[in-house]
Order: sequence, then structure tokens, then C-alpha cells
Amino acid sequence: MFYREAGQFKATYAADQAVFPIRQDRIGLALILVAAYVAVPLLGGDFLLSSVMIPFLILSLAAIALNILTGYAGLVSLGTAGFMGAGAYAAYKLSTLFPQVNILVWIVVSGFASCAIGVLFGLPSLRIKGFYLTVATLASQFFLQWCFVRVSWLYNYNPSGAIEVPARALFGLAITGPSASPVTRYLIVLTIVVAMTWFASNLVHGRIGRSWMAIRDMDIAAQLIGIRLYPAKLLAFAVSSFYAGVAGAMMVFLWLGAAEPDAFNINLSFLLLFMVIIGGLGSLTGSFFGAALIHILPIAVRQAPASVGLTIGGATVEHLTYVITGAMIIVFLIVEPHGLARLLQIGKQKLRTWPFPY
Amino acid sequence: MNIAASPHATGAQGAAHGGPLRDPLLAVESISLSFGGLKAVSEVSFDIRRGEIRAIIGPNGAGKTSMLNCINGFYHPQEGRITFKGVARRRMKPHEAASQGIARTFQNVALFKGMSTLDNIMTGRALKMRRGFLWQLLRHGPALAEEIEHRKFCEEIIDFLEIEHIRKTPVGKLPYGLQKRVELGRALAMEPDLLLLDEPMAGMNVEEKRDMSRFILDVNRHFGMTIALIEHDMGVVMDLSDRVVVLEYGRKIADGSPDEVKSNQRVIDAYLGVAR
Repeated sequence: MFYREAGQFKATYAADQAVFPIRQDRIGLALILVAAYVAVPLLGGDFLLSSVMIPFLILSLAAIALNILTGYAGLVSLGTAGFMGAGAYAAYKLSTLFPQVNILVWIVVSGFASCAIGVLFGLPSLRIKGFYLTVATLASQFFLQWCFVRVSWLYNYNPSGAIEVPARALFGLAITGPSASPVTRYLIVLTIVVAMTWFASNLVHGRIGRSWMAIRDMDIAAQLIGIRLYPAKLLAFAVSSFYAGVAGAMMVFLWLGAAEPDAFNINLSFLLLFMVIIGGLGSLTGSFFGAALIHILPIAVRQAPASVGLTIGGATVEHLTYVITGAMIIVFLIVEPHGLARLLQIGKQKLRTWPFPY
Repeated sequence: MNIAASPHATGAQGAAHGGPLRDPLLAVESISLSFGGLKAVSEVSFDIRRGEIRAIIGPNGAGKTSMLNCINGFYHPQEGRITFKGVARRRMKPHEAASQGIARTFQNVALFKGMSTLDNIMTGRALKMRRGFLWQLLRHGPALAEEIEHRKFCEEIIDFLEIEHIRKTPVGKLPYGLQKRVELGRALAMEPDLLLLDEPMAGMNVEEKRDMSRFILDVNRHFGMTIALIEHDMGVVMDLSDRVVVLEYGRKIADGSPDEVKSNQRVIDAYLGVAR
């Protein structure tokens, strides 16, 4: 009843071209941002911040990375975790080689390292398409993971083979390492994710986003209206792996604190692909939904029996979590194969026309 | 080009319509194209003059679509030469053809199904939009101004094609006739010098055909756009086109005004069949 656009007339194309043309959507977004910046840090405990929100945001960013490549440009990739790893190791190397530069700079700059590697592995994308390209990105996943294990220069010859995050501060406030508080880390992650989501939204709503979608939907016609496939696809690889790289760097520096090569294995790539598919291909909002479903739902299911006073053995809870999460994913995919984002869209449409069916 | 204003400024374009002495916009000289042993097109020559509607007709498999594919750079003919705006070329990529001013619609609609009508038409402006990556990231200032300027242009096309009501509808959900219209809109958004239409009326009912014919004539007369048209509906072809080239088995069998072609014995044979 409250979600109506009646009376909101667009007098300019600028207003009509806005990302959120309906006022209620803008208010909703503002409320979510206020909740994320004020309510969550004030009310949330350490567990909520470091085990739920930080990973959720980082995975969302990684899902956005994959969504740009797969959902918008139509290039299915199984190498996302590898590109995340590239970002993480780049940030680690840069921060240990140049400790005087602030770590936040290196987290963002490490995206460029991953970006370069992404472009390199995107080179075959002109010649091979569809599943074959997916297999080629799988090669990048395995190759990069091999590098993380075998090239000991990458982890500074650490005998354990892991990278450990050095303690770093900004204006005297610890932001990485064991002494950094979850609230600080959360706010940093939130800010980076919000900013990068905004940039991604600008990109996909403009000329570049349209040319990606054109290639996704009908590459022949895209060529005929003057879009050059190769540069556009490489740009998609570049942007996507930049995002993945930053997400990877944040994952190690602001979430895990240390990482072994196995953190960036093929499982993570698959999980991100599931997030994108369940959340909604070609939707930034969907990336957040997907990350929430895959990351937060199992945590919620695990907590549920204890919160209602049931005592179930740890192993049973673990099994149940898998069963329930799996079932939910299937249910969501049957209800709406185009993902949760589409479900939200349908819901909004119903609200707009309520109480009439259309 | 100002679409909204130009329908009234018919005089100049209409008077010179298809005059025989006008310089050729596109000249195709003894083009041959084969796939392995199959000759799709052999030694076909014809020209398209500035401002005319040129029909390419022929029975199924005559090589009409292959011909269009050669013109806009999809196929590279093994022999022959294509001259566009006075510049001859052997090999050209599709996006190069697009940037030189050749637009095209497809026999089976090739729209971007996941995008709205407006976005599809906006995509047609891809070559005209110049703001780089960094501005696109911000989508403010010059990038937004550019976006809005092109939106205005696309709205004029939407107005012209009478598709205002489906502006925001994903094209995958539209009926076939409207999809064909959106595809024409996308091609018009490129402001091409030469518009190639591959069976723009296939599968349409009489009313839709009438609308589409009107749009094609308007595009030609009012905006002076040169059109090459492949169509099977002979009534439409004879009414719309200034000159007709007839292909059969990859060869040109007739070329001339609709009346000449209609009375040509080889054309009648090709269409009605003849004992060989």
C-alpha cells in the first residue's frame, strides 16, 4: 500500500534514468545504509560483526565481481577464487615490501594486480565461448592456486606456506592484525563494499554495461551496431578481476587475518557461482542476496536449535544445516529460476498494483 | 538529424527520390562467395544509389542474406570488390562497417532479449557515445549529460515508431511484430547512411506489414536514408522499392525497376519454376 509511485512524475530524462527512480526505493536504500553504518556496529556483538557481517559483505563483493563477468557480460567463470587469491597475495607482498604505505591503499591497489592477471586469462575469450571458456577459466583457478603453493616468494618463504597479516594502523587505530577491533574492520569493509557497489552500478547502467549485456544476449548483433567484442570482453574480465582481487585482499586482511593457499580453492569459486545464480544473474542486489543465502543461512540454521532451547548434538546440527540449506536453495530455484533479485522485483510489482492483480 | 522536426521537411529528399543519375552509395562488383564447394554468391554486381530503396529478391537459398552479410562484413567474399561511399575494400569487420554507417536488421530478430526496449535502442548509440571508463564509473557530469542527450535522440525514435508504451518492457516479452519494430529502432539509432533490412515483414499480419511499410517509406523519404531491402512479399517489394535486383542460385538474373523485373521472363521462371 505504501509502495506506490502515484504522483511521482518524471519531468526530466535524468530523473527517469536514475538507478532508483521510485522514491520509496531511495528511502529504503537510505534506511539500509543507516542500519548498516549505525545500528549494526552499535547493537551487534563481535560474533555478528566478524563472523556474519564482514564475511557477508566480502562475499557479496566477490559475487558482484563474478556477476559483472557472468551475469552482465555472459562469460561464465570458475576462476573467481583464483583472482581473489591473486589480490590477496598481491596485497600481502606489497604491504610487506612497502610497509610505510597504508594498508588500505594496498588493499585497493592489489585489485590492479589481479586485474592484470584476469585480463591475461581473459585473452582466450574471443576464440572460445560458453562451456569451453568456463573450462579455460578453470585452468586459471588451478594455475593460480598452484602458484600460491609453489612460488614461495609469494608468501615470503614462510615455512608454514601461509600468509599472515601484519598489524597495521590508520591514524593510530589498528585496522589489521589481531588487535584490530571487529567494529573498525566492519566499517572499513562496509565502506569499500558500498563504494565499489556504487561504481559497479554506475558502470552497468551506462554505455559499458549496455554493451556487456548486448554481447551476452546476442554477440552478432552487438558487433553490427559497432561494439568491438574483444575490448568489451577484456574490460569485463578486467573489472571483474579487479573486484575479485579487492575482495580477496579484504578477505585475508580484514576477515581471516591469515590464509593458506587452500582458502582460494575451487570450492570458493563454485560457492560464488552459486551465489550469483541463486541471487540473480545480472543483478547487483542479487549478489547480496546470494551471499546472504549461502553464507548467513547456514549460520542461522546452526543457531536455530539453541535459540529455541533444543539441545541437538553438534554433528547432527552440522548435517541438518547442509540438508536445510540445500533444500532451501532448491526451493528458491524452483520458485524463481531467475534468482532472488527477480523475486524481489516481482514482489515490488505486486505491491505497486495491489490490490489489483495487474 | 532531428527526427521530430523532419517529417515536415519532405521536399528536398522526396523530390530527388531514386533519381537515375545519382551517385552510387554502395557498389558491389562481381562478388563471389563460397563455402567449401558451395557457391552461395557468384559474380554478382549491382549498386545502391544514395536515397533509394533497393530491393533484393529471389527464391529461398538464392544468396540474398549472404549478400547482405558480405556488405556488412560478416562474410568476406573470395572475389570481387565492395565500394562504400567511394572507398573500395576487400575485408572489413562488422564493427568497422557499423562505424562507416551501415546498419542492419535480421531475418530472425536479433534483439538483446534481457534488455528493455529503451536500452536496446540506446545500445544502438554505442558508437556515438564517447565518454570513457572513468566518467562511466561516476555516471555524473559529462557522462550523465551524454547519456541524457542520447536518451533524447532515442525518445525521438521511440516516438517515430510509436512504441512509447513498451519503452521499459524487456523485449523478450514483446510480440513478434513489435520486436521487429524495436530492431528497426535500434538500427535507426545508429543514424546509418545505409540501412540493410533482412525480411522486415516476415511473419507479420497485413496490418503490421502496412505499419512497417509506412515506417520504411518514412525513413527513406523524410530522413533520406538509403535502404536495401530483402523481402518475400512481392506486393510490398513492388510498391516500396525504386529498383529491384533478382538473385537465383547465387547469380543475378535481373536488375531494374519493379515493372521491368515483373515482366522479365527469367524472373517469372525462377519464381514459378520451369522445366530444365
